Amino acid sequence: MTYLQERKLTGWLYLAPFVVAFTTFVIVPIGVSLWLSVMRFDLTSRESVSFVGLQNFQDALKDDYFWQAMKATLWFAVLMIPSMLILALSLALGMHAMNRGRNVVRAMLFLPGMFNVAVAGILWQWFYNGEFGLFNFWLKGAGLAPQPWLSDRGFAMPSIVLMSLWWSVGGTSVVILAALQQIPKQIFEAATLDGAAYFPLLSKITLPLLRPVLMFVVVTNTIGAFQVFGQPFLLTRGGPELSTRGVVQYIYETAFNNYRMGYGAAMSWLLFLVIALFALVQYRFLRRGHQ
Amino acid sequence: MRRAGRIFLVAFMFAIAAIFLAPVALMAFTSFKPESEVLNPASAIPKVWTLSNYLHILGWVEEAPFGRWLLNSFFVSTSVTVLVVGISSMAAYGITRLKAPGGNAFLGVVVASMMIPAQLFLVPLYLMLSKFHWLDTPLALIVPATAGGWGVFMLSQFMRAVPEAIEEAAIIDGCSTGEVFFNVTLPLCAPSMATLGVFTFIGSWNDFLGPLVFMDSVRNYTLPVGIALYQTSYYTEYGLTLATSVMATLPLILVFLAFQRQIVESMASTGLKD
Repeated sequence: MTYLQERKLTGWLYLAPFVVAFTTFVIVPIGVSLWLSVMRFDLTSRESVSFVGLQNFQDALKDDYFWQAMKATLWFAVLMIPSMLILALSLALGMHAMNRGRNVVRAMLFLPGMFNVAVAGILWQWFYNGEFGLFNFWLKGAGLAPQPWLSDRGFAMPSIVLMSLWWSVGGTSVVILAALQQIPKQIFEAATLDGAAYFPLLSKITLPLLRPVLMFVVVTNTIGAFQVFGQPFLLTRGGPELSTRGVVQYIYETAFNNYRMGYGAAMSWLLFLVIALFALVQYRFLRRGHQ
Repeated sequence: MRRAGRIFLVAFMFAIAAIFLAPVALMAFTSFKPESEVLNPASAIPKVWTLSNYLHILGWVEEAPFGRWLLNSFFVSTSVTVLVVGISSMAAYGITRLKAPGGNAFLGVVVASMMIPAQLFLVPLYLMLSKFHWLDTPLALIVPATAGGWGVFMLSQFMRAVPEAIEEAAIIDGCSTGEVFFNVTLPLCAPSMATLGVFTFIGSWNDFLGPLVFMDSVRNYTLPVGIALYQTSYYTEYGLTLATSVMATLPLILVFLAFQRQIVESMASTGLKD
């Protein structure tokens, strides 16, 4: 065996433990859910497990509630993803440039993300509450009119986004900071000696070196935004008038409150297609910037 | 950057961080308020300090074994973290450095699988775990967690961002792939591995759906789930709710602070970073 062949084989050897776990706990359940999506599988009526072909998918595409949920999800993603990325990148660059106190600031920014979503939801419900909430108390104190943070169709989604940013922007910026710290310092020193100013350095050297990690951040945040569930579920239960009920919440209610497993699985696959499409476009976009 | 600019930057970053921290501080303060004072937003700091909320929770011992839940959580989250960081760094090394043929395509499949809503896996996983007789044991929470693609994706992208030149030099010097992996690649990727470790630990600690569905006995619950189930019974008592939240999160914060020191130290030891 040549050295190169041996090296390639060793590659899969290193991958083996993950491949075994992935096959057992991801691929097999995916197979089961694909099977579910072409079945009528309602736990409420035992005899009705039957093959229905693409019926579940056709039903979903004609389901007004599904489209309403898709619209809410898209609205959340459009508000969330750009503000998340800009904020997280700025915070990471700011922390990276700090000559003291960086670890304290990182811990402070990261802390909100350590609360599980139920805790964060309970806390912000109190902030947003119309009558005895903190924000309206401040507004009244400043002589301004109280706002319907969660009870108005126009206000509710931006309020959910604000809470989500507080909860998760620290985590993303910590990931970007770790990437910045992994860039050998010599590269910056050499460029600075050559007289490069901060912003040209940022766009010509720092960001290109960060590209693989930024790709990771963009893709995982897109996935996270499209699968949003906990924050609206806890803050508004999807209201007012279902305006903040996303697709995952609708799937959850279909599968686990109404026990329509087949229909829930089919809608999950439709959501998967939408996310994959967005991720692919972003991937192409970031790759093109590379050439 | 000039000196004044640096000082301004540090002050500005601290101001922003304080805004992020304020809700957390408010929550901690409120958990020490007596019930009559809780919803009064006029004073963030309690006029009367009381431990009654905490004493109430610790008084549950019989029906809510707090210590046992804490132990369960530590055991599950530590196991998951060690396994995920180990398995993911091996896999990322195989894909990005040893260039396993088809490795990138495989990574594509892994990332695609992350796009499927996790709720979808719940029913198939339950059926499988019951076949393995793993339900109501820690195995049900530990083993499936190692299959998540997040860690492999993250470490692969971080390894790509590290120049290969140092590893190539080690290979020319006669190091085997195993030696390069342990002595060169892993130390170089220490910050990203520590970051993945922190995220994995937090994710596992806060996992709600898993313990809720896969664990039957109350004594086998993890801390956040156990506490949340007892929380629902007095949902309207706000001070008590916040006190339980603080207690469920405090161990996690301590672990993070310990990890954070680890991140800094591991960077210093590689001699490459600032």
